[in-house]
Amino acid sequence: MNKYVTHLAATALLCCAAAVGLRAQIVSGTVTDAAGETLIGVNVLVPGTTTGTVTDFDGAYSLDVDGADSLAFRYVGFTEQRTAIAGRNTIDITLAEASEFLDEVVVVGYGVQKRSDVTGSVSTVDAEEITRIATGDVASALQGKIAGVQVVPVSGTPGASSVVRIRGIGTFGDARPLYVVDGMLTDDITFLNPNDIERITVLKDASATAIYGSRGANGVILVTTRRGKEGGGSLISADVYYGQQSLIRKIDLANANEFAFLANQLARNEGRATVPYPFLVTNPDTVLRTTDWQDAIFQVAPIASYQVSASGATDRSSYLVSANHFAQEGIVRGGEFTRTTARFNGEFKVKPRVTLGQNLAFSLRKAVNGPGILNNAYQGYPTLPLLNEDGSFAATNPVGNPLAQLEYQNSTGESVRIVGNVYAEYEPIDGLRLKSSFGLDRTDGKSENFVPVFFVSPLQQNQVNSLSQTRDANRTWLWENTVTYDRSFGESRLSLLGGVTSQESRGEFLTGSVQGLAAENQEFRFLANGTDSTQTNGSGAGESAIVSYLGRVNYAFANRYLLTVSLRADGSSKFGANNRYGYFPSAALGWRIDQESFYPQDFVINRMKARLGYGTVGNDKIGNYRSIPLVSTDVFTNAVFGTGEALNFGAAPLALANPDLRWEQTTSFNAGLEMGLLQDKLTAEVDYYVKTTRDILLVVPIADYIGADPPVVNAATIENSGVEVLLAWRDRIGRVGYNASINGATVKNRVLDLGGGQEAISSGDVGSGRLSTRSIVGEPVGSFYGFETDGVIQNQAEFESFPTRAGQQVGDLRFVDQNADGVIDGADRTFIGSPIPDVTFGATFGVDVAGFDLAVDFYGQAGNEIYNQKVTSRFNTFNFERRFLNSFTTDNPSNTEPRLLNGGGNYEVSQRFIEKGDFLRLRNVTLGYSLPGTLGDRLRVTKLRLYASGTNLLLWDSYSGYTPEVIAESPINNGIDRGVYPVPRIINVGLQVGF
Amino acid sequence: MKNLKGLLPISAAVILLFGCGEDFLDKRPLVDQTADTFFQTGEQAVQATNATYGILRRFDVSVFSYIGMTDIVSDDADKGSTPNDATFLGELDNFTFDASNIGPGAVWGGYYKGVFRANLSLARIPDVPMDEGLKTRLLAENHFLRAYFYFNLVRWFGDIPLITRQLSPDEYEQERTPTEQVYALIIEDLQFAAANLPEKSAYAAEDLGRATRGAANGLLSKVYLTRQQWQLARDRALDVINSGEYELLPEYGQIFTPEGEHSSESVFEISTVALGTGGGGSQYNEVQGVRGTPNLGWGFNRPSDNLVAAWPRSDPRRDATIFTLGEVLPDGSAVIVGDPDVANQRQNQKSWVPAGPLGNGNGGGNIRILRYADVLLIAAEATNELGNTAEAIELANRVRTRARGPLPKPFLPDLTAANKEDARQVIWLERRLELAMEQQRWFDLVRQGRAGEVMIAAGKDKFRLGVNELFPIPQSEIDLSGGMLRQNPGYE
Repeated sequence: MNKYVTHLAATALLCCAAAVGLRAQIVSGTVTDAAGETLIGVNVLVPGTTTGTVTDFDGAYSLDVDGADSLAFRYVGFTEQRTAIAGRNTIDITLAEASEFLDEVVVVGYGVQKRSDVTGSVSTVDAEEITRIATGDVASALQGKIAGVQVVPVSGTPGASSVVRIRGIGTFGDARPLYVVDGMLTDDITFLNPNDIERITVLKDASATAIYGSRGANGVILVTTRRGKEGGGSLISADVYYGQQSLIRKIDLANANEFAFLANQLARNEGRATVPYPFLVTNPDTVLRTTDWQDAIFQVAPIASYQVSASGATDRSSYLVSANHFAQEGIVRGGEFTRTTARFNGEFKVKPRVTLGQNLAFSLRKAVNGPGILNNAYQGYPTLPLLNEDGSFAATNPVGNPLAQLEYQNSTGESVRIVGNVYAEYEPIDGLRLKSSFGLDRTDGKSENFVPVFFVSPLQQNQVNSLSQTRDANRTWLWENTVTYDRSFGESRLSLLGGVTSQESRGEFLTGSVQGLAAENQEFRFLANGTDSTQTNGSGAGESAIVSYLGRVNYAFANRYLLTVSLRADGSSKFGANNRYGYFPSAALGWRIDQESFYPQDFVINRMKARLGYGTVGNDKIGNYRSIPLVSTDVFTNAVFGTGEALNFGAAPLALANPDLRWEQTTSFNAGLEMGLLQDKLTAEVDYYVKTTRDILLVVPIADYIGADPPVVNAATIENSGVEVLLAWRDRIGRVGYNASINGATVKNRVLDLGGGQEAISSGDVGSGRLSTRSIVGEPVGSFYGFETDGVIQNQAEFESFPTRAGQQVGDLRFVDQNADGVIDGADRTFIGSPIPDVTFGATFGVDVAGFDLAVDFYGQAGNEIYNQKVTSRFNTFNFERRFLNSFTTDNPSNTEPRLLNGGGNYEVSQRFIEKGDFLRLRNVTLGYSLPGTLGDRLRVTKLRLYASGTNLLLWDSYSGYTPEVIAESPINNGIDRGVYPVPRIINVGLQVGF
Repeated sequence: MKNLKGLLPISAAVILLFGCGEDFLDKRPLVDQTADTFFQTGEQAVQATNATYGILRRFDVSVFSYIGMTDIVSDDADKGSTPNDATFLGELDNFTFDASNIGPGAVWGGYYKGVFRANLSLARIPDVPMDEGLKTRLLAENHFLRAYFYFNLVRWFGDIPLITRQLSPDEYEQERTPTEQVYALIIEDLQFAAANLPEKSAYAAEDLGRATRGAANGLLSKVYLTRQQWQLARDRALDVINSGEYELLPEYGQIFTPEGEHSSESVFEISTVALGTGGGGSQYNEVQGVRGTPNLGWGFNRPSDNLVAAWPRSDPRRDATIFTLGEVLPDGSAVIVGDPDVANQRQNQKSWVPAGPLGNGNGGGNIRILRYADVLLIAAEATNELGNTAEAIELANRVRTRARGPLPKPFLPDLTAANKEDARQVIWLERRLELAMEQQRWFDLVRQGRAGEVMIAAGKDKFRLGVNELFPIPQSEIDLSGGMLRQNPGYE
């Protein structure tokens, strides 16, 4: 090891010596804008070399040009300028502001386009916006950044991912978007390190996503990772942060005395002969010691990221090498996550017309998954200690001791993923590019679960230790061959794309378990060390393949009239032979009104473009082999026979298959208007869309007497429509640059058809055989369905005058008799809320002055409801939220909280458990300070920025749980709080250095 | 020309992909067999038949709702557990249920899944090239199981759709078939089974638990008893009794211990096993296990006060049937403390099993469906109805004598009856005491035409005469049948 370090140091020294030995020719000067203000951080470089620098705090630069004959000046938002050196030693430059919205290049499917040429609904987010949030999850950094993209963390578990919905939900199944990372198509971007990302582009409407055909219906997120930039010279940078995460708020639970009081009240209400805490009745002044179970399970937990990278580029090659280590612990004790990533992106012009390149990412993820103890803390008795006096775990009731669970019940997981592609591009004649790209995506995972022998209480014990281990491997290859041809003639510009792609995926797993390990130490955790008779094993595998043909025409006439037409044909192994191929066409028109001769020259709206798009896309996320009738084998096909009670293997073709299975098809219409006002200081973008998804896969129930599980059929139709608005202001007053932007989107979601005469899809199991959601024609997908409540039955007179439900008494909830038949029964249930927000919005404000930069992000949503299931889950007497102190008794005739019971009618799915999901979050505040260039020069650094950042700082909402962000991947099981692991508040400090 | 050269690799790629496209996209399942390659071998015929048996361990076939619609609904048991746990069972207990109660829906779905599997085997096994002897046996096993499924269905619901083969989509809307025709199929199935199944002793040791000739005759005798075809009921019961295959265990309590599984008294029972690797258990033991301490289960199916009072104090069967608080478990492992949230806790001892691997849900206690004592009492009841009261009482006293065990006679005197009517009551009571908490009581009461009378006497005053003898057809099934199914009277 030491030897290696010495070798490195020696090499570095030699390089420095070589650099010093060159003859210097210094050019210096100042860069300003048209108003005469100096510009900080302008790239000054010698074209075609790695030589370059950036301007300092005073806009000054100084560069050893080493005999070069020209210099180039580049700055974001300004037009690049080149000048001949011509022997000068001082070159002052004034840069002209570019109309960035026109010249900006946007990544679209299988290519790039100038922003001004884009005809679809396409939004972008840049690196600096993504890296403000301290997180390992790239998707969560997108929250609130793009109109129409809803991002909700699945949980606050370390390393957890987010649910991403683009323009509502158009399926009962998998609504995840497609991700395309540097051309690799994937459903999972958890391998990505946010610091490696250059830009994220979201394709929202079908005219933009149709080029991804059968995978475009849920929207497409294109991720472009960083690469070496010409002109920056060789840049080595380090970016580290460290932070602390904490719980945002606790749930207001009863203390020991309150709990005992309520438990007594409950026992009386249930008509029990005795109360559990009789001493509290005889001696009401007794003060019980409270154990705060929430305090016991939550902690302040660290989060940290360490990144180093090196990059550089010339006109012939570019490279980026980065390494990152991210580590996060959970705010609920017991969970840990680390991810180590490395990336190597390179591109080489090996011949004047031949370019080779590669993107390669490696990630190693490790997680310790703590046990689920949130509900223990919610339900456990505050009267009970968690530790005995001797420090051992105390027996608890009626739920297990969470501290003991933390000790005894942990599982671990580890996965290595490599995603990369290599490509070659050949330009035989100007404008014609042939590109072939081959990519691999391989994941190897393993997980382990070991439960030792332990005894805490009869309820919480394990008599025989057990070990289970799983190995899985997934690999995908993707081969894409495309040809593009760009040509201008006269006033026309034409760009053609054609391509053939093929992709094959295979996943497999191997699993085994054993009990009775002779020793429990880590070293002995192998399946061979258990009792042979307890060994189980299993394995499985699945494959899928897609072949696609794609084509696109972009045509622009007179820079005013824009046309895009695309078609993709996908053949997929997932679908039956009868419907193997699908065709996904789209067309879009753009009109740059400001380019018309009649457009007023000095109009306040200096830029205006209208867009119109229409197209068809598909959703193929249905799992493999759904169209082939399989032979089923499970626990209940096997039978037990024999004197030795042996399991006899059984199997039979039990499920009905559907050979006509085909894609869910989304047809979308999009109309948009883009405007720039006041010389683009204010930009505005408005989109209206209607997205109709047909042939949605559905298990249409058949009568049970048929005896078989029903097949999946293409049956339902769902419509999403809405408006998206983006307003952004960017300006500079003297040395103060500032910007503000807000975005908002509405979604109106409703089911149009459920096919085959089916009335409703019921789901959202909340326990005791109760279902909380129902999807019917005319209502949003997965709407909450139950009784409307109207206070509490106050007295016998009310009890007699209103219709009641069988078994109800005074003090119970008054349910509304929807059909006015004088009886409260199942027919009186109605729609009582929707988990889909009507509106999502985000806002960002930024200021930079004198080296300081401040950014403030808000995020919020409105119009959705949450079903607070954890309150309803009472199989026993559990602890109570303090609001139960207001429960109805004859002394306390509450009209909001019914009489205290553990179950029964008051726990039917009703408005009682529906809460508003509206919230506004102060998502992030980041304050940074960059060292002035002069000081930086002295320290030999080109960039030195210190920052402090706070994430999830403030929350305005009315929800009683840990967080109003409650979501599930399944759209019909959504918005139900079963004890969600809350996202933490994070305060972190960071340092960015470049040299 | 220069352009064309560049296009060559692309063209080649396109051709390549077109060439291999269809094969490339034809991904067959890697792990699972597909339907078109099944039912080709004798081994697969055995596997398919095993799958028909496998369904017997299911929660909806032999566990929760099954117990609710046999014991809890009767006067033998109350719901049990905490007051608000599984309220649908409380509705069954108190006769406040309607067509949306999930209990009838669960057994309906579970039993028809069994019918589907039996039909599948009965349709496909005849064409399998295999040993003809084994083929006939497998067919007979499936006939037996189909009869078992339909026998419970018809007793719960009356007229039901009679499905005898896999339906095609245009046949999905079915009407109810009259009870008479359902019984005709049950009898036909059991006759085929009785004629073609081996006796219990003729099976190999590893096949213990498969349907036998004795099981088919025994079940057939119960079918005839239900139909009040006394002579046939007696004849089939005597086939079992005279087969020499069965005898009563000396000690009553032993029947329900692990050692009592597949004993000489067992005519048919559902085998389950608590393997360390799982997969062979049922939740039958768990749902009826002690709730609280020791934690054996959910605490449902509480033996009722009415049942407890039915035994003479000195009848050993009472203690063998019921766990009370403070009692030591049969294996001596713990004292029953119970759960403070459960009032007057009491549990079914017959469903008890010692703790096994993988927790309570992996119960390994066999579910006794038909015991030799049951067959003796069927014979006794039928014989009495045929007028031979003396022989009937003698048959019933065999059961009585075993129950008494080594105790002196005065503790549990022999049964006596002055006349046929008296003997009927005596045998009915003996059935209740002998088979208590074994999911027989409800069907007996309905068969005997006195369900309502007994329910109302037991304080279940919500019982509606002429209605509650049958359960409602699940509302969802009526809806999904396109309205072809009609509801039972009183549940519309």
